[in-house]
This record gives sequence, structure tokens and C-alpha cells, in this order.
Amino acid sequence: MSTLLLILKEIAHRKFNFILSLLAVVTAVAIYIAFFTSAQDSQRETTRLMRDIGYNLRIIPKETDMIKFWEMGFSDSTMPEDYILRFAEKTQGEIQYRHLLATLHQKVTWQGMEVLLTGIAAKEVVPKGVAESSMAPFAVEPGKVYLGYELVQKAAVKNGDTVDLFGRQFQVASCLPETGSDDDIRIYGHLKDIQSIVNLHDRINEIQALECLCKEPGDPLERLRGQLETFLPEGKVIQLKAISDARREQRFMLERFFERLLPLVLVGCAIWIGALAFLNVRERRFEVGVLRALGYGSFRIAALFLGKAVIIGLIGAAIGFLLGTGFALIFGPEIFKVTAKAIRPIYFLLNWSLLIAPAFAALSSFIPTVIAVTQDPAITLREE
Amino acid sequence: MILIEKVSKIFRVGRNEVHAIQNVNLHVLQGEFLVIRGPSGSGKSTLLLTIGGMMRPTTGRITVNNEELSKMNEPERAQFRAKNIGFVFQMFHLLPYLSVLENVLLASGFQRGSESRERARELLKNLGLSHRESHRPSELSAGEKQRTAIARALMNRPSILLADEPTGNLDPENAEEVIRHLHEFQQNGGTVIVVTHGHSADQYANQIVFLRGGEIVENPS
Repeated sequence: MSTLLLILKEIAHRKFNFILSLLAVVTAVAIYIAFFTSAQDSQRETTRLMRDIGYNLRIIPKETDMIKFWEMGFSDSTMPEDYILRFAEKTQGEIQYRHLLATLHQKVTWQGMEVLLTGIAAKEVVPKGVAESSMAPFAVEPGKVYLGYELVQKAAVKNGDTVDLFGRQFQVASCLPETGSDDDIRIYGHLKDIQSIVNLHDRINEIQALECLCKEPGDPLERLRGQLETFLPEGKVIQLKAISDARREQRFMLERFFERLLPLVLVGCAIWIGALAFLNVRERRFEVGVLRALGYGSFRIAALFLGKAVIIGLIGAAIGFLLGTGFALIFGPEIFKVTAKAIRPIYFLLNWSLLIAPAFAALSSFIPTVIAVTQDPAITLREE
Repeated sequence: MILIEKVSKIFRVGRNEVHAIQNVNLHVLQGEFLVIRGPSGSGKSTLLLTIGGMMRPTTGRITVNNEELSKMNEPERAQFRAKNIGFVFQMFHLLPYLSVLENVLLASGFQRGSESRERARELLKNLGLSHRESHRPSELSAGEKQRTAIARALMNRPSILLADEPTGNLDPENAEEVIRHLHEFQQNGGTVIVVTHGHSADQYANQIVFLRGGEIVENPS
């Protein structure tokens, strides 16, 4: 009779103990899988939502008059457009910024209205190692413009119309919806077009950027300013604090939650499995005594208890993965509406579960197993 | 042959010492039937388990089949028990989740093959349990359980059979049958040591010793 068969027969006999132990592993694995799968979704959703909120860093020329900056909403100074490339190259490997976008803002009078003219570079500059997903609200093609809500109302234009901008004809690519901000009086155009209109060739007055979320201690703005001082001394950085804080809070909230909850779940389940294993050992102490009398050594007796724990771990991992993934698939779309379609099983977690859960169950059963192996069979058998 | 020389066993219970057996000397020849009798707590079971290598004596020497058991470590004693000694307990201690046949096969370790199975079936047949081999212990009578335990003890063809109150839970008829099976083992050349309160095994005994307070006494009365 093999050890495995002996374990399986014991499991079949003491079903209740087995089911309760299995439940502990299933609970731990399912919670972990559900959380991990959800965390992936949450991260995707956070990225998407935060992208919609927009850039949270503004890098402007150092000599900018800040009183005028806040009054006008943009810098009255300009800097060479190629600063953005220089900055991206120099910060490689030490990135605190990502998704750099060169822009040029000017206030002009158009059709009798004071409007903001904003040129957007055709492409973002993404530091090496950062995913190339665009943060820009839209890509403006040369010869086309996007018009803010109030301008559309006043000028009575619609998509596809042609408008005159300082003697040049532009097609209206899109009439933007109301935002309740100065974007409603803004005309967005291709950077080169706007530079040409305001006669500031190859000049920009702002690099919009997204702060890289790092868990490093200290004030992130101070860190960013220090980095800018090193790599782009001609510029200074302004952080849109509310957006930054929202991003940071949203991003780290779930991680902090996991960090605190998962150890509690694991410790709880380990104690649960350990207590059941201890009861099992206690219930089987005469059995251990008899096996000793029959000449079974410590290794074989330990194998009976640890082998059972490993089987519980393997079955628990498979069931836990199914339940955890099922939970994420059923409830995830309700919670993470933006990325609902992106929620899918993470199969490599099954491999990890099948490796870790048996080890976890065996570890939880370790002390009871040691008790079983070291208990004096003579004392047990004398109890009768 | 079993040689027990000046064997004592002391248990520590908290700060106290309990002298379970004291200065016991015994000489049991191969093929003998020894009965150890004494009141509860006299150290009978302790002596039996010490002879069987389940515990080491505190002092003294135990030699079984020319091998000094008291000098062996636990793995060596386990191996020695598996080859040389069969145990029968008062409470049978059959594994409840195994059938009668599987309980008997348990003694052969995890050996595979039809030889072990045939041996187990032959033992069950000799003990009148062929019809019970697929039954669970919970489905057996007390007498059948004890006969299963005897079959398990004999599975590895031991030279020594140690029985701790083997008839303690049996009616007189079953008790007589169990003792008869132990006697059969002795008749085939085996050594039997039985610990008991009663007199049911006396008729087959070559030697009867009385224990009181952990010591062998000459006059039991």
C-alpha cells in the first residue's frame, strides 16, 4: 500500500477535517487571486481615468513671471522646442516624468474674441522604458483645428467647416464639448501651424508631463524640481497638486489595502490549517503509535501528514483559482466599468497557486507534523 | 532469546520521578510463552514496550536475538521491530479507514506485490477472517478485531509476539480463541510475551512473572 493511497483513504474517512482544511486554502487562494486580478483591472482603470484627468506637471521657462503666468494661464516666455528631446534623453533611467508633450500657448484676438491659441506637438516624447500610450486628449493634424465650446457657439461653425486663422485656412476637425474651463475659449492646432501663426518658429512655452508615480519617500515635487535643475536648468516645474494627489491616492489605495489585508488572510488561514492539522494529529495519535510499533520511521509518518497537506494545497489552489477568477470575472465588470472588457483570467497565477498553496499548507501543518513525529508512541500506547 | 538485565525505567512527571520498572531481570528463551501479571500501574505495559524497543530503558540492558536493543537509536529500533517483533494491543488499534486486509498489509510497510497480499490472505484464513477481508474495523466484533490485530502482528513473520492485555476487551470465548492463536504461534517456534490481569494464558505459559511497583516479586499474594 503506497503512502499516497493511505493518505487518500484517510482523507475519505475524515472528510470533515479535510473539507475544513480545504476551505482554508481555497479561501486564501481565492481572495489572493480575486484581489490580484482586480488589482490589475484597477490599475488599468486608474491609468485610463487619470489619463482623462490629464497631465499633472507643467515645465515652463525658468524666467517666467509667475504673476503673469497665473493671470494669463501660460508663460510669457518661450524656450527652444528641442529642450523636450534633450530632457527626455538626459532623464533616461532616472525617470520621474513620462508622456512629455510640447505646447505653445498664446492669447490672440480672433473674430473679435480674446481666445487662447494652443499648439500641440504631433507626438508625445516618451522616455525610454515607458509604454507608448498617448496621454494627449487628441492628435491634431497639420491644417486642422479643434475649437472650444464657446468659440463654436459664437462663430457658429461645425465639424468639417473651414475657418480663417490670421489669413490661413484651417478645417475644423472637431467642435469640443463644454468643459467649464478656459478650454472653452481655446483653439487647438498643430504645433508647427501655431508656431507659424504667432511667428515663434521652433519655440514652445510649456512642456506638459505626467509625473511618474514612485513610492520613494519624501516630497515628490522637491524631487522633481531637483531632477529638473540637473537635466533642464532652463526650466521650472509646476505640479498640479490636486491631480497629483488624486492619482497617487487612487493608485496606492488598493496596494495599501492589499498590503494590509493579504498578510492577515494568510496568517488567519495558516492558523486555521495548523489548528485542524493539530486536531488531526491528536485524533490519530494511537494510529501513529501503532505505525511506530509496526516499524514505521519518522520520515514515513511525517510524509502521511505533510503529504495530506500538499494534497489539500493542490486541490485548494485549483478550486481557489477558479473561484477567485470567477469572482473577478463576475463582479469585476460592475466595479471596473471602464476596463470591463479587459478583465480576463491571469493563468500564470494558477501555476503560482499550484506551487505556493501546497507549500503554504505544508508549512502550516509543519508544527503538528513535528508533534506527530516526536510524540512518544510508548506513552500514547500506555494511555489505553 | 530475550535477555533483560537490571532494567529500570524512570518517567519524569513535572519535578517528580516515577519509577515505572525497577531493576528487572528476565531471561526468555526462543519458543517460550511468558506471562507477565500484575495489578494496574505495576509497570507491565512499560516493561513490554521496553522489551519491544518502543522505549529505551533508563538503566540496564536488553538483548533480543543477540542484538542489544538498548543501544540502538530510534530508526534502528524501528527497523528491528519491523523485522522481529509483532505487537497486539488491548484496544486493537486497527486503522478505521482501512479494510481488514489493508490493516494486515499495513505491517508490510509499503511493499507492493502479490506475495504480501497472499501472505495476508493466508493469515486471515488461518484466523477465520477470510469472509471479512474487505470489511472495515467498525463492522467487526471485538474478537474479530483482535484476530485482525494478531494477523497484522504476524504479517512480517516475527520471531517474537508481544501482547498487551490482548483479552482485556473480549468475552471468555473470544479470549480463549485469541490465547489459542498466540499459543499456535509459540508452537511454531515463536516467542510470546503476554501482559495480563487474568489467568486465561496460564495454561500455555512456560514462565509466569509477577510485577508489583515496577519490581518482579517472587510471591504475588
